[in-house]
Amino acid sequence: MIKIENLSKAYGSKQVLKNVNISFEKGKVYGIVGENGSGKTTFFKCIAGLERYSGTVSSDFDNLKNHTGFLQTEPFYFSKITGREFIQLLCSARGKQAIATDQRNIFDLPLDQYASTYSTGMKKKLALTAILMQTNECFVLDEPFNGVDIHSNIIITDIIRKLKELNKTIIISSHIFATLNDTCDEIHLLKEGVFIKKVCREEFGILEQEMKDFTIGNKIDKLMLT
Amino acid sequence: MRYYFRLQYKMLNRHISDFGLHPLIGYGISIAGFTALSFYLFSKTEFADYVYIAIAISMILKLCENKRNEFLKNCFSSDIYYSIRFSENSIVILPFVIFLIYMQSFTPLLILLLSAGLLAFINLSNQFQFTIPTPFFKRPFEFITGFRKTFYVIIIAYILAIISVSVGNFNLGIFSLMLVFLTSFSYYTEPEAEYFIWIYNLSPGRFLLNKIITGILYSTFMCLPIIVTIGVFFFDKINIVFGFQALGYVFLTTVILAKYSAYPGKINIPQTALIVLCLYLPAFLIGIIPYFYLHSIKRLKEYLE
Repeated sequence: MIKIENLSKAYGSKQVLKNVNISFEKGKVYGIVGENGSGKTTFFKCIAGLERYSGTVSSDFDNLKNHTGFLQTEPFYFSKITGREFIQLLCSARGKQAIATDQRNIFDLPLDQYASTYSTGMKKKLALTAILMQTNECFVLDEPFNGVDIHSNIIITDIIRKLKELNKTIIISSHIFATLNDTCDEIHLLKEGVFIKKVCREEFGILEQEMKDFTIGNKIDKLMLT
Repeated sequence: MRYYFRLQYKMLNRHISDFGLHPLIGYGISIAGFTALSFYLFSKTEFADYVYIAIAISMILKLCENKRNEFLKNCFSSDIYYSIRFSENSIVILPFVIFLIYMQSFTPLLILLLSAGLLAFINLSNQFQFTIPTPFFKRPFEFITGFRKTFYVIIIAYILAIISVSVGNFNLGIFSLMLVFLTSFSYYTEPEAEYFIWIYNLSPGRFLLNKIITGILYSTFMCLPIIVTIGVFFFDKINIVFGFQALGYVFLTTVILAKYSAYPGKINIPQTALIVLCLYLPAFLIGIIPYFYLHSIKRLKEYLE
């Protein structure tokens, strides 16, 4: 279980997260939704321990970061490192062996090519493969479906379901509501650094409609398209 | 186009400022350094003209990168795009041109001007699929990426070692050894993204130890052909070879520690000055290594604990 209490984060005078309180249990999938700039990525970075913050992030582990697989929105790759070497790097960093890499390469990535030459979707799939091979207990997936082809979307959805079965804690963000609908047990709506709503599976349909109404409103009319 | 160059100027100033210098001082040092190195080069070898052209062209080649130029093509009309390419190449070669005119080396000057003009039409794509093999797979990533970027320097160092043996010049052999070490140092000059420190399940001390062991192990691997070559042919001076090898390890350790003591920034002026000071007075390493180590631990704690 991950428990977050009074989590706040500011960049200079800009308050990005404001006194956030939330907890994530094992064997559940949590969706975090919000507009661009609402603080999702910062929230994820705070959980992972990549940002300094005020408040507490506690868990069953002595050091949560060593049990967390963090998929970044835009994974960074060194210019001359192959996919296979990237996986080796992430596994060895956690003291794990990269075993049966070819067999576990379920996205059929060209592992012996430089990762920096991969397409956006391939980069994401490589980063996901690597953090799965680290055998983590908690997964923080920032936009895992972004830029990924439809077939891989289906595979990622199934991976998330499998992780849930294995009693892992999964926190994901996505702008594609259907993917959250397929995978999440709860969705939390983040707005201007505050969680303003928690929605359970039975109410996902209502949330989607509310978000559509709120987001679109009469904005299209304002464009004055002719 | 004017705005584009104004932005480039701003970016350059920011790079200099990030290095801890006022831009004006940075320009002053660059001009003085360039002039001094040029005079030094021309005083040392009769092939200076060609070395000079090679350096200038290698700098222009960096502006031929495909992605960058695709972006420029996307932003500007064809006329403006080529004006930018010509102007950029001209700015890059300007100091070389001035010095070649001063040296009255008109043939190299002509070659350089023609090359700069032609290269304005060239885009270099790095999309080819060939992956340079490395023996450093087990412990990524510095030596994997570094070796692929600088493998030709290592080859040159090996050739120099063979030449040193064939002409009986021991100092050249030691120089080739130092060249490998200098190349290894360059693998640690750029700070990696925070994520690649965060992923480690190690304490800051263990993390540094891991990096140092990897550095020593792999630099030994790269130096081994040279050590064997000059060790066999200059066996009476084997102690000196080992001495330089040990010195290489100490400086490699210093560079690694300096890198993380500046993290997440780049190695800055004060750190570079301390390392240079140690090159002249190695005894200072006794104080500088612990200094860098303590600073590195402090910096790494933020990501590893």
